[in-house]
Amino acid sequence: MSALTKWSRKRSIWVFHVNAASCNGCDIEILAALTPRYDAERLGVQLVGSPRHADVLLVTGTVNGMTKDVLKRVYEQMPEPKLVVAVGACALGGGVMKGCYNVGHGIDKVIPVNLFIPGCPPRPEAILYGILKLVGEEPKGKVVVSDKVEKQSDVVTREEVEPPVGQ
Amino acid sequence: MDVLQVVEILVFPGLTFFVWLAFVFDWLDRKTAARMQGRVGPLVAGPHGILQPVADFFKLTTKEEIVPEYSDKLVFEWGPPLFFAAPAVGTIFIPVISLSAIISNPYDLLFILFVLAFSTLMAAMLGYASAGRYSTIAIGRLVVQYTGFEVPLIISIVTPAILAKSLSIEGIVGAQSGYWFVFIAPISFGVFIIAALAELEKAPFDIPSAKTEIVAGWMTEFSGEALAYIKLTKNLSYVFLSALGASLFLGGSNGPILTHIPILQDLLFSSYFLVKLFAVGFLIFAIRTALARIRIEQATRVFWTILTPLSLLQLSIVIALR
Ligand code: SF4
Repeated sequence: MSALTKWSRKRSIWVFHVNAASCNGCDIEILAALTPRYDAERLGVQLVGSPRHADVLLVTGTVNGMTKDVLKRVYEQMPEPKLVVAVGACALGGGVMKGCYNVGHGIDKVIPVNLFIPGCPPRPEAILYGILKLVGEEPKGKVVVSDKVEKQSDVVTREEVEPPVGQ
Repeated sequence: MDVLQVVEILVFPGLTFFVWLAFVFDWLDRKTAARMQGRVGPLVAGPHGILQPVADFFKLTTKEEIVPEYSDKLVFEWGPPLFFAAPAVGTIFIPVISLSAIISNPYDLLFILFVLAFSTLMAAMLGYASAGRYSTIAIGRLVVQYTGFEVPLIISIVTPAILAKSLSIEGIVGAQSGYWFVFIAPISFGVFIIAALAELEKAPFDIPSAKTEIVAGWMTEFSGEALAYIKLTKNLSYVFLSALGASLFLGGSNGPILTHIPILQDLLFSSYFLVKLFAVGFLIFAIRTALARIRIEQATRVFWTILTPLSLLQLSIVIALR
């Protein structure tokens, strides 16, 4: 892979977001990662409307019977190379819904997952941190354990996250 | 056609120059929108994120290109280069480093109108060729919108031509030595900017590519290299329409101080042009960030009942004054 390809893939991350039966908590945090305070666009992250345009599939929520096939279809519609990120305890292993008769337990049982971001819901910092890790970028700036972002140039801050419920 | 002219067409101030301008415009557009929303915008790719559009472009060219099973393969695969050709050819007629364009003939403006219509037609063909549900809805909207903005756009482009008594862009730029046509025909300039927003599918007229309604409009099914060229073409059209507005209404490369020292003269002309180009560009960035999307029938009503009569009024005033 040429240096140009590597650089451009690292700097331009187009994300398609699928809500696979989540409670909307994680989705709100993903939205928060795009708002002025965190502004994912400065890292080249862009939310796109079509899976054909996307590089990264961001899945939230525990998969149930209704969303399973849709999730598979969306995954197959994405062009290579593609990466999958599971956001939130539900997507990791069922979360608060763990043990329910009507939900799946984790999206890695449906499609291959490259990165898990735990938390219920994970903070926007955690999501940005995860996406940077995903493309092989060592997150720069201070890694602090609070929600204080002092300067816009602190790229991400990390938060101690609890292990997902039930694992 | 000698070697120098070929270099001019391909490198400066022709294709390569305008493609780089297209990248810069994309960056400025995103940066302006981000600043107006209180964000920082692209930051880490290159200084202040200026290489963000370049990164996007190269990343898309390295991705897999999916051809849907039921698509019209010929148009789907060969359409994007043709779509790219429309604004790329149009830019050759814009004077940049002197008062004359690289290629010009007495009927430039008719060809420019053809280029503008052709790029919408190409978009419609690409959308239909991809045979997606969302693309089909988007093309319906695009064509309805096109019937709306085409008439005011043509009338507002014709107004400066009547003022300059010339149908070539070179002639119109040359005729604006004393005063800019925007002072005589301000309504036409306004109508031109609004129609340009519609042609570029920018808010409030981003109805054919409405992200929250119909996925990604007629571009939904495109991926990889084709998408890279479609995005580049849209940015090139952005530059092309801004350059057209700057040339027709703000005097383009014509400016107050003219010298006869060869290199200095070229520099002066191109800096006049660039300043005006970015001024028109910023106007479009600001409008598209500040306004929200309207519905298709509202857009049609705006075009047919407000903009067309206004541009006709301006045209008759100009003809009466002449
Ligand atoms: S992880 Fe928590 S916030 Fe996210 S979808 Fe599950 S329950 Fe909701």
